Amino acid sequence: MATERMQVLTKGFFKENPVFIIMLGLCPTLGVTTQVINGIGMGLSVIFVLVFSNIFISMLKNIIPNSVRIPSYIVIIAAFVTIVEMVMHAFAPSIYQALGIFLPLIVVNCIILGRAEAFANKNTVLDSFLDGVGMGVGFTMALTLIAFIREVFGAGTITLVPMGGFDGVIEIPLFYTYPVRVLTLAAGALLLMGYLKAFFEWNANRKRG
Amino acid sequence: MRQFARVGITLSLIAAIAATALAMVNAVTAPKIAAYELQVIQNALTEVSGGFALGDSNTETGDTSVSAVHALNDTDGSVAGYILQLNGVGYGGSMTIMASYLVTGEVIDARLLANAETPGLGKKAEVPAYMEKFQGTGGDTAVPQKKDALEKSDADSISGATVTFSGVAKSIAYGSDFVKSLGGK
Repeated sequence: MATERMQVLTKGFFKENPVFIIMLGLCPTLGVTTQVINGIGMGLSVIFVLVFSNIFISMLKNIIPNSVRIPSYIVIIAAFVTIVEMVMHAFAPSIYQALGIFLPLIVVNCIILGRAEAFANKNTVLDSFLDGVGMGVGFTMALTLIAFIREVFGAGTITLVPMGGFDGVIEIPLFYTYPVRVLTLAAGALLLMGYLKAFFEWNANRKRG
Repeated sequence: MRQFARVGITLSLIAAIAATALAMVNAVTAPKIAAYELQVIQNALTEVSGGFALGDSNTETGDTSVSAVHALNDTDGSVAGYILQLNGVGYGGSMTIMASYLVTGEVIDARLLANAETPGLGKKAEVPAYMEKFQGTGGDTAVPQKKDALEKSDADSISGATVTFSGVAKSIAYGSDFVKSLGGK
């Protein structure tokens, strides 16, 4: 039982990674990953929404009539997204501005609605919670990896949270002077996504033998 | 009929609980959001004021490209110029620019505020030094709106982000004409 629960939690990290394996949520993935902090901010927002929407949908699965389950899920998801939006605007305004339209668009992020429909409305609250954490962490890891590569090579910086005397930006000497600019643009995001997808496919095939 | 009532009541309850939760979060976050936005505006106003004192403000300009007009007063209380809060369009969508002018329409300084420009490229317009290329223009000389109107070092600085430059320049040039139309009133 414990092993099964552990599998529910960890499958989203690599085996069923929502970005690299299931290929869901690609719009925000490509749109916000211009800076590392944006990837982390978007990832944490999705973890919050995914975990709480999974919990509530699992709790209400026997109460919500089947004919209106999708509108009900959307209301629940939209409420959590709006909460994230308001809290981020108040307490992390720079990340809120950087995420722009992609933050409210979490409402229609297919990872969240997909997990609600495919997992939370068929499983227990605990399993749904673990699924939400696992898929959210997998999404965050994917965003952070893509953002890290794009920002380091494309802008020559790593942007994190400013703290004390640290302004939040680490400059990478060679790439700051000679950045591979295409990586910060939409075309570069698609190219990188293609290379990473090919790598994950190769890795999965290698493991299968 | 009973099924319809069940569906209606369930949806209404979910919506009511969601609305209550949102109202509670809004009560906590709204004052902080308002304070933050005011602080951003105040900081920008101070930075671009060029040493003049801030005078009256008007947020009803009747122009969609100009959100607000703040007068700049000289030491004798006369209007020396204006700070305009301008709405522009860049590579990533809408941008907010705060620009200050003498009454002749000459640019004193400017800052790029809210924007969604590309990091490493258009985002460089947030750096105060980026606006130096506009300072002193708009009066006798036109505000540079094309890359070939800039000196080589300035032209190099906007390389890869000409859409951002064009958006900022158009807004600043529009602001200059707007200030001229005020005639120091």
